[in-house]
Amino acid sequence: MTQTAAEIARTHPQPAPIAAYAIVAASTRMRARRRRHWLTHLALLLICTGFILPFLWMVSTSLKLNQQTIEYPPHFIPSPVVPSNYWTVLTHEKINFPLFARNTVIVAALTVFGTTFSSALVAYGFSKIRFRGRGVLFAVMLSTMMIPFPVTMVSLFAIFRWLSDHTAIQFLGTFKPLWLPAWFGSAFNIFLLRQFFMTIPDELSEAARIDGCSDLAIFLRIILPLSRPALAVVALFTFMNTWNDFLGPLVFLQRPEHYTLGLGLQAFQSQHGGTEWNLLMGATVLTILPVIILFFLTQRTFIQGIATTGMKG
Amino acid sequence: MRLLSRTILALMLASAAALLIFGPRPNPHLQYRDGSPVPPNVTRIAYWEKWGGNEARQMNEIVDDFNNTVGREKKIFVQYLSISTVDKKTLTATAAGVPPDVAGLWDRQLTQFAAEDALEPLDNLAAEHGITPDLYKPVYWKSCTYNGRLWGLVSTPYAYALHYNKWHFWAAADRLRAAGLDPTRPPATLQDLDHYAKVLDLRDPGTGHIERAGYLPMEPGWTIAVTAYWFGGNIFDEKTNKFTLTSPQNIAAFNWVRSYTLKLGDAAMSQFSGRFGELFNTPNNPFLTGQVSMVCQGPWMANYIYDLKPSMSEALVPYCLERYLPRVARPFNYKWDVAPFPSAVPGLNGVTYDSFDVLVIPRGSHHKREAFEFLAYVNRQDVQEKLCSMHCKNSVLASYSRDYIRTNPNPYIEMFEKLAASPNARGTPTVPIYPLAEDEIKQAAQTAALQLDVPVEQCLQETQDRLTQKLDQFLDGQRRRVAAR
Amino acid sequence: MPLSRHESASLAKGLLFLSPWLLGFAAFTALPILLSLYFSFCDYSLLQPPVYIGAANYRELFRDPLFYHSLGVTAQYSLMALPAGMLVSLGLALLLNQGIAAQTVYRSIIFLPSLVPAVATALLWLWIYTPDRTGLLNYFITELSLHTSNGAAWLVKPHLILPSLAFMSLWGVGQTVVIYLAGLQDVPRELFEAAEIDGATGIRRLWHVTLPMISPVIFFNLVMSIIGTLQVFTIPYIMLDVTGGGTDRAGYFFVMYLYDNAFTYLRMGYANAMAWVLLLLILSLTALAFWSSKRWVYYQGR
Repeated sequence: MTQTAAEIARTHPQPAPIAAYAIVAASTRMRARRRRHWLTHLALLLICTGFILPFLWMVSTSLKLNQQTIEYPPHFIPSPVVPSNYWTVLTHEKINFPLFARNTVIVAALTVFGTTFSSALVAYGFSKIRFRGRGVLFAVMLSTMMIPFPVTMVSLFAIFRWLSDHTAIQFLGTFKPLWLPAWFGSAFNIFLLRQFFMTIPDELSEAARIDGCSDLAIFLRIILPLSRPALAVVALFTFMNTWNDFLGPLVFLQRPEHYTLGLGLQAFQSQHGGTEWNLLMGATVLTILPVIILFFLTQRTFIQGIATTGMKG
Repeated sequence: MRLLSRTILALMLASAAALLIFGPRPNPHLQYRDGSPVPPNVTRIAYWEKWGGNEARQMNEIVDDFNNTVGREKKIFVQYLSISTVDKKTLTATAAGVPPDVAGLWDRQLTQFAAEDALEPLDNLAAEHGITPDLYKPVYWKSCTYNGRLWGLVSTPYAYALHYNKWHFWAAADRLRAAGLDPTRPPATLQDLDHYAKVLDLRDPGTGHIERAGYLPMEPGWTIAVTAYWFGGNIFDEKTNKFTLTSPQNIAAFNWVRSYTLKLGDAAMSQFSGRFGELFNTPNNPFLTGQVSMVCQGPWMANYIYDLKPSMSEALVPYCLERYLPRVARPFNYKWDVAPFPSAVPGLNGVTYDSFDVLVIPRGSHHKREAFEFLAYVNRQDVQEKLCSMHCKNSVLASYSRDYIRTNPNPYIEMFEKLAASPNARGTPTVPIYPLAEDEIKQAAQTAALQLDVPVEQCLQETQDRLTQKLDQFLDGQRRRVAAR
Repeated sequence: MPLSRHESASLAKGLLFLSPWLLGFAAFTALPILLSLYFSFCDYSLLQPPVYIGAANYRELFRDPLFYHSLGVTAQYSLMALPAGMLVSLGLALLLNQGIAAQTVYRSIIFLPSLVPAVATALLWLWIYTPDRTGLLNYFITELSLHTSNGAAWLVKPHLILPSLAFMSLWGVGQTVVIYLAGLQDVPRELFEAAEIDGATGIRRLWHVTLPMISPVIFFNLVMSIIGTLQVFTIPYIMLDVTGGGTDRAGYFFVMYLYDNAFTYLRMGYANAMAWVLLLLILSLTALAFWSSKRWVYYQGR
């Protein structure tokens, strides 16, 4: 069983996600039958406790009264438990948490849809159509992944300002700078999808071509439906990244009514002390909750996706 | 299991959709105080202000007052928004072309913003409203001007003074008298302050930990950059446009700051005061807990004491019953007292640092005239007195009413009024790189306080060289830009 | 060489499919980069049009002590966080690869923190690092040291700031661990069995079989980490003083100074000059990594 899997690995220099998953599944099954390593268990148990502790502390703090947060010795289990903190966070007089959530959802939705579709389109071009200069362009695209955001952020700011001044469309002061670039494809997603498309046998598209289908039709009717797992990975990753993005909103969002959750969380911090940590932790829990739930629902897809990015080497 | 995850996923998507459709919109329905909606032909003014908590509520009341009086009349509605790091955000928003109509900044960046061309000059609008310099206490007006033009109007001004704990003084009366000091009076000179501080220091005999410090220059340390004022000096000479950090007064000032670290011990001091910075707005504020006997603070302290440690202001009777106390007994209701912060120069009295919160109109605001209506309103005598009363601060105007003195919750307001207008009151230097300069000088002060091996003169010289260079660059850039136009 | 009819048809089709990316690349990558280069030679405050000043920004940059300081901070942090991160993530991946039961659970727990938004991580750890005894970390130290120590002012004392941030970064190694895991599971079993037959012990197997086989993954993670640690911004921005970088600016990272120059001091030209220095730094370090990879990275099946 493993022999075949390893062979697949060796013959495909860039193993497809399917192969990777097969390897993982096969080897896991085999090894599970071996003797348990209690030392490893212990080590992992200790380490995982350390990893989980901050989360527990966060939840614990979010359920305390403000004066309990500065008590000594600190208790993990608050008494009394104050779940109304969450209600306070959601209905806070000065900080409109639901508004920030809505803003984040808007930006995330627009970004995910835009990037998934456009990246798929471009990835098709890079994988299924042979044309002169394709390799060069692909290399250029890969290299753009290495460009640090600070290099472009100031100029982008200036470009958007110029566009706002000289066209009838407002850019700065809206969400556009955050989601617009995504509609033109993102290098990372293009790469991921291209790798996946390359595992789809050419015979399928060839057959369709002989039947007289245009490339666009092949793309829409054959490739896309087959790529649902990869598209899911792209959508998931993009959603996570947008939900977690901070520097982008920090630079491009000016009006407080447009703030996303990341920026909004900062509003609970006070500059002169007196930060209400219980509310801040409550808001933080609410912010990371969707991400965590999504992770548990889509674990396999997620981890597969991460693994693939590393596998290309 | 799969069904469960599908259901949860569907639920998440549904709630996202619900949020999108039914969720709050960026432009809320604005309402007057009585609940009536704001009609669409009324100009909406976005007002970004730094305050949160009580101070925000109080300013909101003023905003409501405006909306219901002048606002209704002239069809203007001001919307107050609490913004953290409002200075940075306003600058970026102005650079982005979408600034608020009114912004509440600190005095420290007023000149910088004006020099960067980020603000609308207010001279014409001020003249139209009959706002002239003679109506104001001189230091405040001067700090709002740069290159001969007016750039902002003060919302709430203040002056720094010595706040000291009378209880501590009286409790230590024997020891103070033994040191030749009067426990019933505040220190008259800076050297006296040092002596008082030394007597009032308390240490745990076993561990050597500090339990109480008579005075800590860094608590709160908000005036640390201009300590030279109390030494008769200056950090910037406006006539020659040069920094004067290496003047003997500055060196003396920094050595004075350092002397406290030397006296208390670096490690002990850090351990004692490490967290003080973030505790200002909490009941653990060191002045309120009695961990520090004397601080250089502003008039808002009265407010914070009422909020966080009212017992300090209610030694005999609660505040509401205070008016029934005979006049002579009233001072005894307060465990704390205020006096001008003493200077190191004999004969130099009434020295203070006048600072303020200021309202500006960023460049590119679409509603300048309407925005200025609000600024002018805040500077009307009755409104000023109402606002400053609520903040326990002194007024920015030269004249004030007796009512104001009587009803201001700050028991020492009259002293603050006189101090703020004193001939030896100094303000923020109108140098365009002041935020950078203040940060650098604060860093230098920290170095003076904590890095005892670095000579103070060297530290100041380096800072001065850096700042001079930055200022020259800035002025060069300014000249270049003017020439390029 | 002129294109044949078929080739030019393909080219047209290819470019058509690529058009979103081509447009986006031109507008949101190429143009900003070129503009950024131009701005770095200008005095530009965004409130005024840019004024060309030649290489003055660069000259000033190389004489700016804060530039070197922020570079130093970033470098020090990288030297702490990078090796620590790689060792810890590799170690965890090796542990997780033992084939024990419930390893998916462990793997999920370790992976979870890497999903948390940087803002949330920063605020949570800011809370954990509270300087007095009520902070979680200090509480543990106080208890474990039997009250002989009260912990430390983690984010206040200058010499503790960077180590605290580096330690915190270990919480988010999950992503790297998963990548290593995938790489480890790709190693063919026969190699391990052959090594065992030859009598190699655990450590030798690790050094001579496992590590070389996953060297491409190590290389990938190394490059990603270099690029990542040089751009650290969000976490120190939120956790440290508003004056920038905490006491003594001990946590004033390079990108923080860049951001301040651009949006606090409105010196866009100067900020762009810094950005280009950063870009060249990243490129040269990556090139160095690639060049050195020939010595130690072994690609399967090549």
